[in-house]
Amino acid sequence: MMSTGDTEPVGPDDLTLLARVGRLWEQLDPPPDDLVDGVLARIAAEDLEFDLLVLVESADALDGVRSATPADDDSGAWSLEYAGPDFNVYLRLSRIEDHTRLDGWVVPARRLTVRLSGEDGTLAHETSLDEFGRFEIADTPSGLARITFLDEELVDRPRMTPPFWI
Amino acid sequence: MSELPTESPSLWETAASHFDRWRAGENAALDDLVRLLSPMLWQVVRASGLDHTTAEDVVQTTWLTLVRSGESISESRAVAGWLCTTARREAWRVAKQSTRQRPVEDETIARRLPDEPAPEGQVVLDDDNARLWGCLSRLSERCQKLLRIVAAESRPDYTVIAASLGMPVGSIGPTRGRCLDKLRQELVQAGGR
Repeated sequence: MMSTGDTEPVGPDDLTLLARVGRLWEQLDPPPDDLVDGVLARIAAEDLEFDLLVLVESADALDGVRSATPADDDSGAWSLEYAGPDFNVYLRLSRIEDHTRLDGWVVPARRLTVRLSGEDGTLAHETSLDEFGRFEIADTPSGLARITFLDEELVDRPRMTPPFWI
Repeated sequence: MSELPTESPSLWETAASHFDRWRAGENAALDDLVRLLSPMLWQVVRASGLDHTTAEDVVQTTWLTLVRSGESISESRAVAGWLCTTARREAWRVAKQSTRQRPVEDETIARRLPDEPAPEGQVVLDDDNARLWGCLSRLSERCQKLLRIVAAESRPDYTVIAASLGMPVGSIGPTRGRCLDKLRQELVQAGGR
């Protein structure tokens, strides 16, 4: 039996009912526990002043040429590939005696300034990509290094490789 | 007159105060805002029919949009509504271009009535919600979908909802009313209110 009077609306009003439907779905389909952490991590990454490129491939052309403390008579070549949000970078390092040459290639080609810096952030070399997206640094310093790619119009944020050994 | 369910003004006020603090330079206030509103954005995005992984991604993108262009919000009380609209638009955009889209209706949402044993990971509904769920499931698919979408946020943007459901904007209000009437009838027949 219904106990509602003639003039009384039957059941809850629209907003009350919608609020109940909302609470039902909150119970049926709660957000994952890590939803907030995921959002905060994405925001934290956005707050970095550069985009970090990701190492996707590394290969030694000759076994044993690369070590944490390269000997003076080391020679050989190795390559590294990094991926960014909108381009990939291929690096080839060739070592002859105590000199290391760096050849780089950005795909797809674009106008970027290339900065090679040492472990402490000091600038070692600065150059630009040519029209084919290539660059070269004839003689690099030894030790840990990283490369920063800067958009010449400074529209995009700088892209930086993680540190790698030369 | 108001579109707001009863608990909403405080949510909107709290959101506005977090947003003001963040814009005044207090970084931790953004974390507070994220904790406060992400559960609502989750409902908004899931109501659009995206799977779990895509929904998480859309919620994250929505917040990044706020971080990048939040200065365009002139009235801080509008921040919760702005986020809902941004989330719904992004969800709709992603759903249109993604083959990963799976309508929520096709997913089995594990649920149990209160007197049934609940295996781990399943939702146990209390009596009221179990009755409400039973009544909702007797409505048309379009009504179920529309009511979930409208219930997910407190000031729904009918233009975006209409686009995502393929309905004329002007029919959303009346359709919502008819769906709610139908739900009320089902509740009365089920002996509840």
